[in-house]
Amino acid sequence: MVYNPQYYPGATSVAINRRKHISGDLEKLREISDEDLTAVLGHRAPGSDYPSTHPPLAEMGEPECSVREMVEATPGAKAGDRVRYVQFADSMYNAPATPYFRSYFAANNFRGVDPGTLSGRQIVEARERDMEECAKVQMETEISCPALSGMRGATVHGHSVRLQEDGVMFDMLDRRRLEDGTIIMDKDQVAIPLDRRVDLGKPMSEEEAAKRTTIYRVDNVSFRGDKEVVEWVHRVFDQRTTYGFQPQ
Amino acid sequence: MSDSAVNTENPLQIEIFPSRILSPETAQKLLSEVYKVDGILRVMVQGQRLPTEVGFGPGTGEKVEHPQRKAIEVEGQLIELKVNVGRLRLEVADAEVKEKVREVCEKVFPFPFEFREGHFMKKKATVTDYAKLGPNADPTLLGMVDPKSGDYKNLIFIKKKEEKESEDEE
Repeated sequence: MVYNPQYYPGATSVAINRRKHISGDLEKLREISDEDLTAVLGHRAPGSDYPSTHPPLAEMGEPECSVREMVEATPGAKAGDRVRYVQFADSMYNAPATPYFRSYFAANNFRGVDPGTLSGRQIVEARERDMEECAKVQMETEISCPALSGMRGATVHGHSVRLQEDGVMFDMLDRRRLEDGTIIMDKDQVAIPLDRRVDLGKPMSEEEAAKRTTIYRVDNVSFRGDKEVVEWVHRVFDQRTTYGFQPQ
Repeated sequence: MSDSAVNTENPLQIEIFPSRILSPETAQKLLSEVYKVDGILRVMVQGQRLPTEVGFGPGTGEKVEHPQRKAIEVEGQLIELKVNVGRLRLEVADAEVKEKVREVCEKVFPFPFEFREGHFMKKKATVTDYAKLGPNADPTLLGMVDPKSGDYKNLIFIKKKEEKESEDEE
């Protein structure tokens, strides 16, 4: 019998989208070149070599270790890349992802990543080329909408702010904006100006965002409307209460 | 100008909360229309701050020329918006004025908005106000700025052309 992982319960569009995000079975919606991605990340100059923090593992002569033999190092670790980060903020107004689902996505689909989940932002730390791989998938697929999500390394606030009149999530540092129907980013994730204008693609329409979101909202798909999810959340809370009770 | 702090007629306070944060153009249109209504005593504009430079992280000190930070003209006075207008709090003379303001909002906003009556600005001076502003303080200042911040000098007032009216931007 083939084992099919059951990532998330529920039959609503939100539950289906949550399963998609966790499993990594995602629809690619736009194309972002490697150079553009490197530029907006802002960790090194586009086209330059990856700076390293130690020699390649093959040259280092690692000690004999059964775990090292069992677990193959990631390409970034093999090459000795620096650890670098990418951070996203997602609007609570029907953005496709939420911090938790970005973390589940990263942890389930990539090795050697350290996802950090916060209320309004989500960070992934990893060796530079591994992080870039993870960031690229997030930028190009249905996990992100260029208008409702933003790559923000500093001053991330905006996720809980009402949208602008043009439907774009507020960005205090004006890293990206809507121009001629597409979102243009001309600063890196910490708002240092770039020498290029990166086209992040067309924003999702309100209807499409409502269809692709992983956020339960009463004005879209309500949490209480998904009976299976409610049942499982109750079960988890019930069991952790029952089994977490340890009288001394 | 009606002195709300000592006014015994008890004016109403209302809050306008649009479902989108306003572009400078819509903010200018709204404020201009609101100023045309008679019986507005005080107006306060509130919203997300728009900094001129990056204040945090590796990009600290980089210039930010935010497209929402524009000069708008209200009552012939040119003001540079320091905030992305998200909320307006008004003190109005009576319920009739309140309904006129509601009509203005319905005319200006192409999207839904919340419109509620409540208590949003101080009506009486507190001990802190007295300590900071003294006994002869302008009652229109009350509740416009946190008295502990000492930020009164950064207030921008827009006075109505004929009558004396005030608006504060923070």
